[in-house]
Amino acid sequence: MLTREPEVRQDRPTKRRRTRLWSALTLPGTVWMSVFFLSALLLTVALSFGTTDDLGNPHFGSTLANWAQLGEPAYAKVIFRSFVYAGLASVICLLIAYPVAYVIALHGGRYKHALIAAIVVPFFANYLVRMYGWSTVLADDGPVLRAARALGAPPSLTILNTGFGVVAGLVYGFVVFMILPLYAAMERMDVSLIEAGRDLYGGPLRTFLFVTVPSTRQGALAGLVLVFLPATGDFVSAQLLGGPNQIMIGNLIQQKFFDGQNWPLGCALTVLLMALLVVGLSGYLRRSRRDEQEAVR
Amino acid sequence: MDRRDLLKLAGLLGGATALGGCGFAQTEAPAAAEESQAPPIEMKVDGDLVYFNWADYIDPDVKAGFAKEYGVKVIESNFDSMESMTAKLTAGNAYDVIFPSDKFAERLVKAGKLRAIDHAQLTNSEKVFGTYDYFQNPWYDQNSAHTIPNTMYKTGIGWRKDKLGAKLTGSWNDLWDTRANGKKFLLDDRDEVLGLAALRLGYDINTAKPDELDKMVALIKDLRPHLRGFSSDTTHNLSGGSSWLQQMWSGDIVAVIGQADKPELYGFESPTEGAPTGSDTYAIPVDAKHPGTAMLFIDYMLRPENAIKNIEYIGYPMPIKGTEQAYAKLVEPVPESVVTVDDLAKAINFHNGTAEETQARDAAYTEIKAA
Repeated sequence: MLTREPEVRQDRPTKRRRTRLWSALTLPGTVWMSVFFLSALLLTVALSFGTTDDLGNPHFGSTLANWAQLGEPAYAKVIFRSFVYAGLASVICLLIAYPVAYVIALHGGRYKHALIAAIVVPFFANYLVRMYGWSTVLADDGPVLRAARALGAPPSLTILNTGFGVVAGLVYGFVVFMILPLYAAMERMDVSLIEAGRDLYGGPLRTFLFVTVPSTRQGALAGLVLVFLPATGDFVSAQLLGGPNQIMIGNLIQQKFFDGQNWPLGCALTVLLMALLVVGLSGYLRRSRRDEQEAVR
Repeated sequence: MDRRDLLKLAGLLGGATALGGCGFAQTEAPAAAEESQAPPIEMKVDGDLVYFNWADYIDPDVKAGFAKEYGVKVIESNFDSMESMTAKLTAGNAYDVIFPSDKFAERLVKAGKLRAIDHAQLTNSEKVFGTYDYFQNPWYDQNSAHTIPNTMYKTGIGWRKDKLGAKLTGSWNDLWDTRANGKKFLLDDRDEVLGLAALRLGYDINTAKPDELDKMVALIKDLRPHLRGFSSDTTHNLSGGSSWLQQMWSGDIVAVIGQADKPELYGFESPTEGAPTGSDTYAIPVDAKHPGTAMLFIDYMLRPENAIKNIEYIGYPMPIKGTEQAYAKLVEPVPESVVTVDDLAKAINFHNGTAEETQARDAAYTEIKAA
């Protein structure tokens, strides 16, 4: 829309002037990102080679000691567990979000926006507060287990401080990041494609598998990435809903910065985690570029 | 804009010296120099009070009372850990009054981050130092020259009497009680977890000796399969029924009992091998913009009537003459949770180690938590 506006004016800007305008408009964003994102990232990388003094203050340096410490098997174990939990949470989110987005986008009618708002609004409340709430609700003498026991569940049944609790917390915390891109993809989807699928004698299942799923794949992939990334680094769910065997990498990183007073080691862990995630993400980027090319063709 | 501002701006844009405000690696003026330059603080209103504390650590009525009496605003921000408090302070944020624990008070004093406090100016200081000799020269701050004591606490074991009985054996060994397997927690606190292992094995609670740390890790690893978790949210865990047996701080059991429908369900013991003790302090950072108001605030908090309200609010005692009875009444249902200066004098405190010692302890704790 903005690009057309100048055409109405008397003095049409030349193409070059227009480009300059656009570059000028990107400047604030560039400055913002370089100051607050890139510089923070560079600091994190730089500090991963740093040291800590006796007062707990971090200093820049050029030691590899922090990186060497990452060889401890405990870290590999906890990182692996984080990937498993985040992966499970992403898949469960997909299974929950797909029907939700489908129903709202295709059958929501005039309540569409209200329904999406109903899903998004609870997420305005602070994540930590909501998770704390869950830890009360799911406590051994909490309402959920009291009700379950009344219905005949064994008294040994617990939810808090289990892997189930942590993954459930992750799903609850991030499912909205799955619903929104899926909803967007389904909204964009041409419904006549489904009708065409039916006309070509595809049953509901075949139509779904060969028409609906492929045309919403982009949304699903975006959702998987949007859930997986924050879930991997999450520490709140494991902290409030997990036990000693559910500690995630986010908890260890947090511990290095706080209790541990070892920012350099925390930075090294952060960089390692980011590097692993970037490797995974590059697979996604390659995939989505190929999808785009196919779409253009 | 002078040259310095320009440089600062250029640095910020490049991201290179964004650190200026980041609190690390800058060269600090040596502690002593900074201190001697500062004249003694004069106790008078010199602006609104910028207050930096744990959330919910002072009765809101008491805080409001200060604002009203002196006609100032109390601008409050909170920290969630001693470490983040120190980080924010080191980053150059200006606060008028902070509440460091003894360990962190020692660290801030060493770093030259605290103003000297002239006890003679505080009208109520005699109520503290005149009665509680211990604080005349505590380990963390010589002659209490930069700090005024605030609360005192100790670490023990809390349990559910209906599940485990009215009395346990009185040893840290009680945490190994198999009846509570799967229903017990340790505090999510490096020092406390290592401390309990050290006390059981008869080591110094601040030990960083590799062979001792190895034995301590092995000891806790033996307990770990039976733990429900590491959590400092003891009040919640115990009253929510998820915990039957828990390493916990003395004031938290007072809170549990204060909120409980059936207070007789909860017990607390202070183990015979020794209970780690600690105290919090009031302090005025060197960067404080309104140190005079901060002095008035500390003096106001030392008034017994205000201290009593606060003791009743948080459940921890304060070493102030005239508050003893109110505290005794409060902890009547759990006399084992009483903390006295005699407990503090036993000198089972967590101290600051060198960077290597801290890292060795942290590696041990990581092994305990992540293994």
